Order: sequence, then structure tokens, then C-alpha cells
Amino acid sequence: MDALYEILSPNYIFRDALLASLCIGFVCPLVGVYFVLRRMVFLGVALPQVSAAGIAFTFFAYASLAGPHDIEPASERILGGAGSIAFTVAVLLVLAYFERRRESVEARIGTIYALAAAATMLFLAVDPHGDAQMVALLKGDMLATTSASLGFLAIALGLVAFAAFAFGKELLLVSFDRDLAVVFGKRVGLWDLLLHVLIGVVISLGVMTAGPMTTFGFLIVPPVTVKLVARSMLAFSLGSAILGAVTAFAGFYCACEFNVPLGPAEVGVAGIVLLLTGAGVGVRRIARAFGRRRASKSAVIDAGGV
Amino acid sequence: MTPLVQIQDASFGYEGHAVIEHVSFAVEAREFVALVGPNGAGKTTVLRGLLGLVPLLSGRVEYGFDRASCPPAYVPQRDALDGAYPLSALDVVVMGTYARVRPLWPVPSRERRFAAECLEHVGLPEAAKRPFRSLSGGQRQRVLIARALAVKSRLLLLDEPTSGVDVEAEARIVDLISKLHREDGLSVVMVTHHFERVRPRLDSVVRVDDGRAVKQRLAAPVAAEPSPSPIFRAGS
Repeated sequence: MDALYEILSPNYIFRDALLASLCIGFVCPLVGVYFVLRRMVFLGVALPQVSAAGIAFTFFAYASLAGPHDIEPASERILGGAGSIAFTVAVLLVLAYFERRRESVEARIGTIYALAAAATMLFLAVDPHGDAQMVALLKGDMLATTSASLGFLAIALGLVAFAAFAFGKELLLVSFDRDLAVVFGKRVGLWDLLLHVLIGVVISLGVMTAGPMTTFGFLIVPPVTVKLVARSMLAFSLGSAILGAVTAFAGFYCACEFNVPLGPAEVGVAGIVLLLTGAGVGVRRIARAFGRRRASKSAVIDAGGV
Repeated sequence: MTPLVQIQDASFGYEGHAVIEHVSFAVEAREFVALVGPNGAGKTTVLRGLLGLVPLLSGRVEYGFDRASCPPAYVPQRDALDGAYPLSALDVVVMGTYARVRPLWPVPSRERRFAAECLEHVGLPEAAKRPFRSLSGGQRQRVLIARALAVKSRLLLLDEPTSGVDVEAEARIVDLISKLHREDGLSVVMVTHHFERVRPRLDSVVRVDDGRAVKQRLAAPVAAEPSPSPIFRAGS
């Protein structure tokens, strides 16, 4: 319990890291619901890797053009962030261009993942100086979050959350029934572009702050959990975001209490919630099926009695 | 009188390759037209071409009303929609009002009420809160027809609305479409494999075969009557 009091204390040393974690936990699932509904989960694996490749590339380019990395952490983050966003959005635009050819979509995403992973390692291998400095960045060292980076993160993710809610019906329409959106004269390409930009921004900032694994975890696990029980899109989106924030907080607590790495702790808590929810839904289904069977049996007995 | 929609020597296809060519026919106000023909003849391509979903390679498609302010109402094949979305039947019907609601604005409560009325009109008021994915095939199809009604269009286009449903559900759907045409004055264009079952309700038939489409007026059309219900009157 001491860890909980410490975390909730206003003078908590990792307060910025906690708030960054909550921001990512809340906003990643908001765009993650579209990954799950549009069956783009593989993209959720590939894009954080692309983002990591973007970070590695900018550091490699910096080292090649300007010399060794002796820049301060803030500049390093800006440089890495620029590379991450540029790579992620560029890949998303390429994928969006080919989206109509759905027959080879998994192959494209798989190829991108493999190439991005290889590129990340190669950029790091040829830039050993950058390698040492970038490990924390690519791992997503949330505890290194500063007030300045938290402010930027909060504003950027706040805008993403606003757009996800404000344009929810348009994003839903182009995702659920693209043909109807075209018949209604909606600019389907523009709405897809908006969704891809939102995804790109969230993944880039998520990878920079929390690392590829944690970002992917928050993108996918809370929406998959809430989808088991949600009955409306609003409940699905809002429920996923709230669950993401709650698991981020619980993961932060576990990391402090049990002295384990933060990102895996958060994803682990989200996974436990998924398992428990899945088990609960399964038990409820079995109970309902059992109840129905009993009801139909007693109806047969009643009919026989009459 | 200006036709509601007119196709003149149109060719539809993908990436420059025509799937169907030299299509010419018109749909008049309050007309019930069936697109018939063998499998793979191009019936759905013609319907989707009418809607702008398949590129028009040559020729013209002209609407006799303003498509921007009042788009045609479209009922896709039931299986075209993903059942994974956590949407209630009413949520799906409400989508029919999206053409009238601007981005950034939520769907007004009067539009939600109208969507509920549309669901009632197709005989499914009790299904409003039920998950769309949990409905039977026939019920889903009626929900999609309710969504089309929520568009408030004069023209209803349906792509095989009775495919994959049982005989009873098929009869209810055909009765419903016929009622919308007869009582609410909607013009209906419907792709169907079951021509004989809808034959008595039709005004015309467009036979699609061998890359061509030919319209033929049927001998004993069912006369359209004015709508007793002002809410669902075509173009209201």
C-alpha cells in the first residue's frame, strides 16, 4: 500500500512518467478500436517497429551528417520524434494507397514489419555511438519523461482524443460501410487519411514514450477486452480508453510495488484483465446455455404432463 | 416527366476494363424495377454503377434529383457488412441519417427518433437495442431497409435483399419492399435471383446478360398509390 500512497502523492518523483503513462493508456485504445474493428491488428505490430526504424534512421543520419551524438536529451527526443512520425505516416500513406487491394494486405504488412525490424538493427549496427544512447529511447523509458515532453504529449494526444470523438461517426461510417459513405458523398479518402494520421501520431508518440511493445499492448489489448462486453460504439471506445488508463495506473503501481519493468507490467495487467473478462463472458455464456436447456426441458415435461 | 435516374450508353468496370457495356435505361418516379439475369452477368455491377461505386468508363448516369442533398437509399448485400462491430440495430439505422448531419455535430435527437420510427416501419421496433450481429438474416435485412428509409430518399436500390434468408423471411422482405413502393411512393431498383417471386409486384425488368442490359416494361404493373403516411413519403 505504501507504493500506492507514494504514487498518489503530489510530490511523487515520477509524477510526469505516471501522467504520460495515463495519457498513452487512455488515447492508444481510442485509435486501437479501429485496429480491432477494421482487422488491422497486424498493422499494430508493424507500425511501432516502423516508428522505431524512423528513430534509428534519424540518429544514423545525424551521426553521418553532423557527427557523434553529443546532443542533450531534449534535442534527441525531438530528432527521434521527427523520424518516428515521418516514417510512420509515410508507411501509413503507402498502405492506405494500396488498401483497396485487400487480397495481399497481410503480406504487405508482414513485409513492412520485417524490413522495419531489419532496418532498425542495421541503423543501430552502423552507428554504435547512437546505439548506446538510443537503447533507452527504443525501449521506451517512460520514467525519463520530463515536464516539457509530458506537456507536448498531453497536447498532441488530447487533440487525437478530441478528433477521435468529434469525428467518430464519420470514422465509423467509412470503417463499417465504406460503400454507404461513398453513396452519401463523403470524402472517404480524406476520412481514411485522418484516421491514418491519428494512428501515426499516437504510435509515434507512444513508441517514443513507452516503447513499441507497450504501445502495441495499449493499442490492442483494452479494445479486445471491452469488445467482449460492449454493446455500442460509444461504450466500446470510451470503455477501451478508460480501461487503458486504469490498467496503465495499475501497471505503474505493480512496477513500483514489485520492482519490475514498467512497460511489461502495464501490458501484463491489461492481459490479466483480458483473461478475467474472457473467463467471465465464457462462464456467463455457459450459464445461459444451461439455463435455456433447463427451460426447454421443463417445457417438454409440462407439455407431457398436460 | 424527368426520370429519377437515367443511364445512357454507360460502361462500368475497373481499371479501364469494362464489366458491362452499352447500358441504357431509365427509372421513372414510383417505378418498381428488377435487375435480373444469370449469375455473374453483371446485375450488381449495374446497381453499383448507378450508385457511383463502380467507375463509369463511358456514357452517362443522370439523376433527376439533387444527389448531394438527398442521396439515393442503398441496401447492400447483408454479408457485405462486418458483424464484429458492437452496434445495435438502432445504431445501424441511425447511420442512414449521417448524410444530413455535418462532421463535428452529433446526431440530433429528432434524427434518432426518426430512425426509431423507420425501424418500427419495417416491423422491428423491439429490435432497437439488440446487437445487430445477433439478429437473424431476415431481421438484419429489414434493419438495412430501415436504414435506407432513414435516408429520406425517393429512390431505393437493393442488392439481392432476399439472398440467404428462409422462405418466410423472404416473403416478409418482398412484402415490405412492395409496401414501400406502393404506399410510400418510393421508386425501387432491386437486384434479384428470384424473379418469379417478385414478378407480380414489378413494373419493369432489366435483363442483364452477355455484357448488355435491356429494359422491358411488364404487362400488368402494380399501380403506385399515394402515401397515407407523410413521414415516409418519398422525398419528404
